[in-house]
Amino acid sequence: MRPRVVAAASGAIALVVALGACTKNTGEGATVDTGRQQTGVIATDPKDSMGPAPAVEGAQPGGTFTIIRETPISHLDPQRTYSFAGLLAAPLFARFLTTFKDDGDGNLVLVGDLAETPGNNVNGDCKVWEFKIKDGVKFEDGRPVTAKEIAYGIARSFDPDLAGGPTYLQEWLADTPQYDTKWDFKANRTALPPGLTTPDDRTLRFEFARPRCDLPFAVSLPATAPLPPDKDTGVNLGNAPFSSGPYKVTRYQAGVEIVMERNEHWDAATDPVRHQYPDRFVWSFGPTPDAASNRVIADNGADQSALSWNYVPASLVARVAGDAALRSRTILSPTPSANQLVINNQRVTDLRVRQALNYAIDREGLVKVLGGQHVAAPMTTLMPPATIGYQAYDAYPAGPNGDLDKARELLGGQTPELVLGAADSSVEQQVATQIKGNLERAGFKITVRNIPDDAKLDEIKKKDNPWDLYLGSWAADWPSGASILPVLYDGRSIRAEGNSNQAYFNDPTINAEFDRVLALPPAEQGPEWAKLDERIMREQAPVVPLYVDVAYLVHGSKAGGIFVSSVFGYPSLVDAHVKP
Amino acid sequence: MSLSPVDGAALAEIESGGEAGGATGAPQGRRVVGRSPGQLAWLRLRRDRTALISGAMLVLFVLVALAAPLIELVYGIGPRDQFQHKLDGFSMPLGYAGGVSGEHFFGLEPRTGRDIFIRLVYGLRTSLFIAFAAAVLTAAIGVVLGALAGYLGGWLDAVVNWITDLTLALPFLVIALALTPTLTLRFYGQRDAVPPAFGIGVLIAIFAVFGWTSTARLVRGQVIALREREFVEAARASGAGLGHMLFRQLLPNTWAPILVSFSLAVPQFITSEAALSFIGVGLTEETPSFGRMIYQSLDYLQTGPAFVFFPGVTIFALVFAFNLFGDALRDALDPKSSR
Repeated sequence: MRPRVVAAASGAIALVVALGACTKNTGEGATVDTGRQQTGVIATDPKDSMGPAPAVEGAQPGGTFTIIRETPISHLDPQRTYSFAGLLAAPLFARFLTTFKDDGDGNLVLVGDLAETPGNNVNGDCKVWEFKIKDGVKFEDGRPVTAKEIAYGIARSFDPDLAGGPTYLQEWLADTPQYDTKWDFKANRTALPPGLTTPDDRTLRFEFARPRCDLPFAVSLPATAPLPPDKDTGVNLGNAPFSSGPYKVTRYQAGVEIVMERNEHWDAATDPVRHQYPDRFVWSFGPTPDAASNRVIADNGADQSALSWNYVPASLVARVAGDAALRSRTILSPTPSANQLVINNQRVTDLRVRQALNYAIDREGLVKVLGGQHVAAPMTTLMPPATIGYQAYDAYPAGPNGDLDKARELLGGQTPELVLGAADSSVEQQVATQIKGNLERAGFKITVRNIPDDAKLDEIKKKDNPWDLYLGSWAADWPSGASILPVLYDGRSIRAEGNSNQAYFNDPTINAEFDRVLALPPAEQGPEWAKLDERIMREQAPVVPLYVDVAYLVHGSKAGGIFVSSVFGYPSLVDAHVKP
Repeated sequence: MSLSPVDGAALAEIESGGEAGGATGAPQGRRVVGRSPGQLAWLRLRRDRTALISGAMLVLFVLVALAAPLIELVYGIGPRDQFQHKLDGFSMPLGYAGGVSGEHFFGLEPRTGRDIFIRLVYGLRTSLFIAFAAAVLTAAIGVVLGALAGYLGGWLDAVVNWITDLTLALPFLVIALALTPTLTLRFYGQRDAVPPAFGIGVLIAIFAVFGWTSTARLVRGQVIALREREFVEAARASGAGLGHMLFRQLLPNTWAPILVSFSLAVPQFITSEAALSFIGVGLTEETPSFGRMIYQSLDYLQTGPAFVFFPGVTIFALVFAFNLFGDALRDALDPKSSR
């Protein structure tokens, strides 16, 4: 008995070793070009906003398109949804005031969705905006969508019980972050919030106290989806949203499955971006990214027309990318999610130290720790390349691995002792360890201090947090510098808690610049933001830009028309279809 | 040692003829050689091939763990050194079998590019230290409480039993997860470096607090079974004190189960350390540990089997050796127990 056991054991061991050793990894085929430029315009010609959307090549109606995802979508209620999955699921069953025409390669055009154009800047000062609503847009029960229902949708997002969604419109209309104290939705259900009016059924009018030049972008978020007051089920709307898009929710099993089927009252002629190819969309929740990827790769049965929503896990990338047969079933695209090593400018007040950090950083090593080029792409700017008007620059050129000598020279023999606050999640621990080793080679003394993962974000958003460095990331709600730079670096917005300006950077001349650019017409802002981006980095170096997330997706052999949204960095479903 | 049932059994075995005489080559039945139970157990252990091999492996593991800095000196690579230039664009090691070469015996970790061999050596050190320390502590607590409760009985027995039940009812993971950050904040400021020793200490403490119950119950049961026996009554009648009763009369007769439960606890703590380090309790990323390595490697089962193989085989060999040795030890100490 014993010799046989030994033989079996050594056989198994030999097999594993042989399997691992049989191929030599020479590192070929692992390079990828993810540097692409975002171009974005706002459509001025109403024709651009008209439907139907151009047909997708080779797409045919029919079939069931499945989306596999680990966690459920937090809210289906358009006024409350703010997660990437929710933002990209919403276009299937809701229409917005404006929307992006997106080819997945960075060419973005902001067009009117329910509106005929992306907004009319009435006096040219961005304070009064008018939207003309299209004719022939209908709800799922056949009644027409008018300005009244859109206004009601915006009004209900003032209800604190329906929180969770974006707050731009509420704050701008009320002209205060505490918008729910200024106007109480529950007490005024039949009225509209201040500044929002519907002069007639086909006109929606916004009047703001201050210039809000980004309004056409802000109304591209699902919060502008229309809703008739009699269909408002309050907090329950998330289980059965009332559809104005090409699909309607026919089955909602909390945390398990959502089924969406065709909405026959949706008219393709009014819609510039959406299609209605599959008979139904099925969102299936539960499998981990590993399991979902493996299922889709196996390509069996219903999974042939499935998409694994989560990115291919870093540990599986080598397998998926190394398999030539899978190449046609994968999508690789940089996303607008930008990651920085945030420097707490209240603590690290010496500019030379901040510059030395920028010189010292080894971005190539960092990308490797994250899992390689299919997971992250290095970045040296404050705004990610997916921003309108983006200009590439490197204010502290140090090569892919950092310039340690230059950093040491700037430090002038000093050894700054910095504390890096890092979440105790597995990935962030590895990243923190990598950065510690990297910076210590450049002459810093780094202490990694763990913060419980679920508390980290709240803690670093506190003004008086005790750390000098931490990892931060920002995904803008629309690809304009206005939703990035002033949000992250305007020092006047610093509060005691809940700061987006986690660098606690406050410079009066830069603040004034923000005001100047924000008052420009939206189409002229792009290049100005790019210039300001470079100026902030060169003069102040408030953070160390690290990398943008890279989306790497795998789908079944019969799933078609999927591209990565240039706005949000996750798969867009408006062109999705099932191949016969 | 005092008169005890173990002695009787040992004598019987020797008298039935056997290895003792044969080994020394003396004529059979010339005279009865007097041997203590300890000597007898040692003899039986030496005759057991499994015990010898697993014991030798354990000694090897302990030596490797103790000599880790020496090995680093000879090997020339430290546990935190990175070789990221030897990784490809997917962060997988270049070359055969996860980067195995004359320079890197077991290859490199994907992503970080650290040397697996030297991290295993240091991980062994961490894991073995935690496991041994925790096992010794749990055994000590369990033996003292169990023996006291079993021998004295009454209200003390009730209280100890009650505490045991309470400890068993506590949710281990929840408390471990909640306790670690709280303890860290209690002892270290928000900006202080938390030394690895603190994490190790917390892990040992958590294991000690939760791990003593089984030993306590085991010992209590044994002591209850023994306390009415004649030799105990005799000692008590001679006026022996509590310490003598416990440590000279009762415990020597329960060493066998205690040693076995100790030898089984060590591998259990090694794997628990692995699990806990993974969920962020105790050790940080910087401290090389089996746990983090194995859990991080599991994701690479499909893409980098070599990364799973080396730490996996090492922990398998370690735990297997401990379990086999524990079995052999039980057989040697308590030959009456059935196999």
